[in-house]
Amino acid sequence: MSEEKVKGFRGFLDSVIEFLYGMAGHDMTRFALKTRGSMEHLFILITMGDMLGVPILPPYYSLRILPYVVPQIATWKRRMLRERDLTDALA
Amino acid sequence: MSLAEVFEKHPERRYIEFGGKGGLGKTTLSAATAYWLAKKGYKVLVFSVDPQASLSDIFQRDIFGKGAVEIIPGLFAQEIDADKRIKEYQDEIRQKILDMYGLSKVPDEVERYIQAAAAEPAMEESAIFDQVVDIVVKGDYDYYIYDLVPLGHALYYLSMATVYDQWIDKITKLRQEMEEYSKVVAIMQRKKELEEDKILRELQEIRYRINTSSSILTDREKTAFFFVIIPEEMAILDTEKAAKLFAKYKVPISGYVVNRVLPAELEHQNIPEYLRYRLEMQKKHLATIKEKFGHQVLAYVPEFERDITGLDMIHRVAEVLFGKIE
Repeated sequence: MSEEKVKGFRGFLDSVIEFLYGMAGHDMTRFALKTRGSMEHLFILITMGDMLGVPILPPYYSLRILPYVVPQIATWKRRMLRERDLTDALA
Repeated sequence: MSLAEVFEKHPERRYIEFGGKGGLGKTTLSAATAYWLAKKGYKVLVFSVDPQASLSDIFQRDIFGKGAVEIIPGLFAQEIDADKRIKEYQDEIRQKILDMYGLSKVPDEVERYIQAAAAEPAMEESAIFDQVVDIVVKGDYDYYIYDLVPLGHALYYLSMATVYDQWIDKITKLRQEMEEYSKVVAIMQRKKELEEDKILRELQEIRYRINTSSSILTDREKTAFFFVIIPEEMAILDTEKAAKLFAKYKVPISGYVVNRVLPAELEHQNIPEYLRYRLEMQKKHLATIKEKFGHQVLAYVPEFERDITGLDMIHRVAEVLFGKIE
């Protein structure tokens, strides 16, 4: 085998490794994000639960948390009130 | 042991509370104690955490919702207007949302929640206790005299504080776990900076506030808690029960004050049957009180011939409680 070919093969191997890592990494990232998303919803449920009629944290103090979760409220309510999550099947 | 001695022996007890059933004269004793301390040259704040506050009546000044009002040199009184406080608080939250997201109007759903939350029954108490934190943490005064809400509320609040504390503990742990996942993502995506979790900070602040307001009630070092009783059967029974409950929540009881005692010299005067029976009845109950709380009774306050309102009457009550005022 010539020097050139070895180099080429090395390069190819590196790319494959890089690619595999990327795949695995992407998957891990996706998993971590998904888990964090679920936790986020759980968190809003236990702080803002009275929106769904589940009073948990005293309302006086849950108001303090409210500004931070405004963007998530719409998606969270959808998710909580939905029977099953479509993306459950993809995880 | 007299009431004045308790104060002299424990100068570190700066939070003074009179507790007991509604209508036994807690406000009267709070006002008289504040008066005495102010006359001794201390800077005193007497404040009411009762939505049905009556400090305005006893001082004959309208102080409701006006912040700390100076009554005589060194004596300040404050009645917290819970409704006003809740409105201000709601506006703060709305403003924060508008600023954070650059909105011109709070989203309907969020607005509905803000309105609904304010209608919750516990909202008033939370708002008042929360404001107490601000008042006390500032530390502008030598003495803080709490005109306590009726027992039930105070106990409810104390028990809630314990529950909330554990609850916030759990939520905080969840939040910290979430942060772990965010870190993984940040590393994977090669981000340098992780956004600081503002919610976690907010949770810690909430816990600090709840604990501060409940620790004022239960701090052995800094709190003197006096039970007010009257020589009547129901009051004695209720007080015994309450004392047990307070012990459970670790509220340190410094002693008892017996209010509304008919003057004993009446016995030798020409009085109607009715009053004689009342005297007999009180005698019996006073014996019971001696037997049950004997060594812890710090003062007996007579039934006065008229309402305790205005500074002259407060002065008289203070002299009964603490002795001659210069």
